Amino acid sequence: MTGPPSLQRRRLASRLNALSVCVVTTFAALAVAFWYFQVVMNAEYVRLAENNHQRRLALRAPRGILYDREFRPLVENRDAYTISILREHSRDLDRVVRRLAEATGVAEQRIRDELDRHRSEPRYRPVVVIGDASLAQVSAVLARRLDFELPDVVVERVPTRRYPALGVGAHLLGYVGEASEAQVQTGGLRPGAVVGQSGVERAYNTELMGTDGERRVMVNSVGREIATLQEIAASEGRRLQLTIDLDLQLAAEHAFHALGYQGAAAFLDPRSGEVLALVSLPAYDPNNFATGIDRATWIRLNTDVLKPLQNRAIQGRYSPGSTFKAVVAAAALEEGIITPVFTVTCRGGATFYGRFFQCHSKSGHGPVDLRHAIEKSCNTYFYTVGNMVGIERLHKWAALLGLAGKTGIDLPNEVESLVPSPEWKKARTGEKWYAGETISVAIGQGQVSVTPISLANLYAAVANGGPHCPPRLLKAINDGQGWRPPDEVAAPEGPRLKPETVAALHDGFWLVVNGAGTGGRARIPGHDVAGKTGTAQVISLEGGRRAAGRTERDLRDHGWFAFFAPRDNPEIAGVVFAEHGEHGSSAAPIARHVLETYFAKREGRPLPAFEAPPGAPAPAAARGAGAGQ
Amino acid sequence: MFDRRLCAHIDWLMLGAVYLLCAIGVVMIASATADPSRATASQLPATQVYALVLGTGALLVCLVIDYRSFGERAHLIYGGLVLLLVYVLEFGSVRGGGRRWIALPWFNLQPSEFMKIGLALVLARLFSETRHQAPSGRELAIAGALTAVPVVLVARQPDFGTAVTIASVVLGVAILAGMRLKLLGLLLAAALLTAPAAWTFALQDYQRGRILSFVNPSRDPLGAGYQQIQARITVGSGGLWGKGFRKGTQGQLSFLPVAHNDFIFSVLAEEQGFVGVLVVLALYAFVVLRAVDTARRARDRLGALLVVGVLSSFLFQVVYNVSMSAGLAPVKGLTLPLMSYGGSSLIATLAGVGLILNVRMRRFTN
Repeated sequence: MTGPPSLQRRRLASRLNALSVCVVTTFAALAVAFWYFQVVMNAEYVRLAENNHQRRLALRAPRGILYDREFRPLVENRDAYTISILREHSRDLDRVVRRLAEATGVAEQRIRDELDRHRSEPRYRPVVVIGDASLAQVSAVLARRLDFELPDVVVERVPTRRYPALGVGAHLLGYVGEASEAQVQTGGLRPGAVVGQSGVERAYNTELMGTDGERRVMVNSVGREIATLQEIAASEGRRLQLTIDLDLQLAAEHAFHALGYQGAAAFLDPRSGEVLALVSLPAYDPNNFATGIDRATWIRLNTDVLKPLQNRAIQGRYSPGSTFKAVVAAAALEEGIITPVFTVTCRGGATFYGRFFQCHSKSGHGPVDLRHAIEKSCNTYFYTVGNMVGIERLHKWAALLGLAGKTGIDLPNEVESLVPSPEWKKARTGEKWYAGETISVAIGQGQVSVTPISLANLYAAVANGGPHCPPRLLKAINDGQGWRPPDEVAAPEGPRLKPETVAALHDGFWLVVNGAGTGGRARIPGHDVAGKTGTAQVISLEGGRRAAGRTERDLRDHGWFAFFAPRDNPEIAGVVFAEHGEHGSSAAPIARHVLETYFAKREGRPLPAFEAPPGAPAPAAARGAGAGQ
Repeated sequence: MFDRRLCAHIDWLMLGAVYLLCAIGVVMIASATADPSRATASQLPATQVYALVLGTGALLVCLVIDYRSFGERAHLIYGGLVLLLVYVLEFGSVRGGGRRWIALPWFNLQPSEFMKIGLALVLARLFSETRHQAPSGRELAIAGALTAVPVVLVARQPDFGTAVTIASVVLGVAILAGMRLKLLGLLLAAALLTAPAAWTFALQDYQRGRILSFVNPSRDPLGAGYQQIQARITVGSGGLWGKGFRKGTQGQLSFLPVAHNDFIFSVLAEEQGFVGVLVVLALYAFVVLRAVDTARRARDRLGALLVVGVLSSFLFQVVYNVSMSAGLAPVKGLTLPLMSYGGSSLIATLAGVGLILNVRMRRFTN
């Protein structure tokens, strides 16, 4: 057979052979490919598979609770819900955003902005798009998740700070916020960690932070959690007991509000340096920061001319006015330049270095000794004595008594108080000190510029007779094994003053309040309040700003009242600074109210209500701006 | 009509390999469709066993009746199937984006699966009558037309994968029937030249997307490339020995779409590892080579070409599906014959196996 059939048969046979070869080759190639993927590359694909089906969810650690000195909670935690988008497995991010916006009623653009902001972060990290979701939003998302509509959206319960209402203690407590990039790098924090950004929250951030936990869950392709693989519980941060007495804090803030003043106040226990109350007004609402502050509020707080974010008690610097006379008197007595009976005759002023320096009493105080010079705040006496002491020794004693420099309070960003010296002036301006400048310094004007906390520190030192402890806010710490005092408590510093110095100063300050002095509004019968008013001139300091469209009220002087009580064995000392209060006597009623509250508590009486003294300015609604939000 | 002595010539080895693959398929379907969060067994494996019973019936019918009788009536079978395809386009039930099924009381018939056999029959008969060493141009033209009709009908369902599979039949049969390789080369060149036009006019957007993302899966890792990446992860994470029955996370957590259907081989690779892959590949290779051997021993040209026709679509689907399960080919809705879930596919494939056995069984008869 040689016809076509046999040719056909041969061709068929040869092509079938070729087919066999092709089949064997193809299957062998497939086997090699599977060997490469499954055996050679196995580890890599195992890792990818695990990423595929495991999701790590952070369990946020609650921050430690802050208590006042009587264990009343000042800052607690509440559960907030955040809604985040997981981009890692999202197949259609655009659709997720649309659906989420639809479900929660949040503008799509806002969600997109949040995603944009976190664009560069690794995709496996969830991006929080709604910080403090309402229950309605949470339930809307959860319902849709069950229907597999929003598989790439997770709802997390996040413990969130709850601060006292109306911004009470806002500056001392501080606020929290997402760690900045610098903080993440230097502090070894995880991105997105919430850290203290100011106040106690920042000063004791390490203690308060706690350790985040983690939950590893198995999810399926539509993001449904199928099983929990591992759970490491979060551990709460340490609880702190502060030295603050909530009653005094509230009394002080209430008095400020009642009188319509802004300003600052510090109340200390002079024996230990414990801060009983620390006020700065206007305040802000730290709750706005707790779940991430929105841009508009942040800009408003930062551009407000009243600077609500500034903690005036430790960051505001003002000239101390007559409260500075405590330094002049102490320096003169301790240096042996005068004795308490040293007398100057005031004729309404005196001439030094060819220039006449006025006393505030034009007719003059007549002959006054130290005690009465303090009582009447006679400028002529202190010009004379200050001139005798000289600027170097004034500076030395301001530093020794804790007025110059920083007090070392355990709060971030305290600014230095300035009490000038010839070296300081030389370094700063290159000019030499003129003796005439000392005369202004002697009554707390000129280049002297101090923070309220440092002035409180000075009066605590005066109350103690010299030694004083740096102000502090931390009383005890609880790391889960009971309360213990902080590890390092600074020892008292400063020289012990001579008894006759202490007696003269205490008598003088007592007379200011209980005699014919300017502090009469702080008088509390039976409690021997001692203190000193002061006026910080605004025009001389800020005269240049007159053109900047400031109202008349902005140019009124600030009022100081520095005090301690009782005169013998003082238990409480401090300072009240009433911004634009015109005179120290306007600050005194605030101090009086806090002191009354203090004594009422000590004696077990009901807490007093604030009574505005006759003639005090009526509270103006506009002045409360910024406070309480 | 049926001689008992023929039983002695049944290829029991091939039949055993085929049923072993079916059994492995049922087990893998059971694993892929178990819902770990509900802990209830799926009824899909049972449905597959039911289809296996029906398929065995079809296999017996295709075995018992002499293939020459089928050959004589090839044009009728082919014509009937074309009518069914037309009917499906008009009245078929729609599922998963395609109009492919005819709902029958006892199962859903997918005529396109049976068209592979119908076309194999009609082409085998056509080329068996060739009088020359190579099929004439006229014969090739007729073969092309016979193929084009079902291909177009199926592609319009739309079911691109099955359409290509059906087209593979004509290629196999024509080449084995002695078609000149020069002509084949010309056809390939023409295909290459018209490819750009086809790309622009014949393909839908999603089809272009699939092909583009095959070339570069990371082009769109969350869209079209997703399945491909997931398939590769599924296979790769299986390792040498596999994760074990129902232990695979990829298939179990449905990172793979239609794991019990198009991606059944990926599930196998994940749970049974490279060893399981080798076993199944060897079984398929055995079935294919055994079929090639049958074609070689066939008593007549009709038998040989019929085996080649049935084998063409089977081989094409196996190779394509296995490649796709490892992310080596663009994702297309093509089942793995014998293993994938799907009644019509299983029944038609078993019917085809019946025809191959038929040819081998009757290799000595007159």
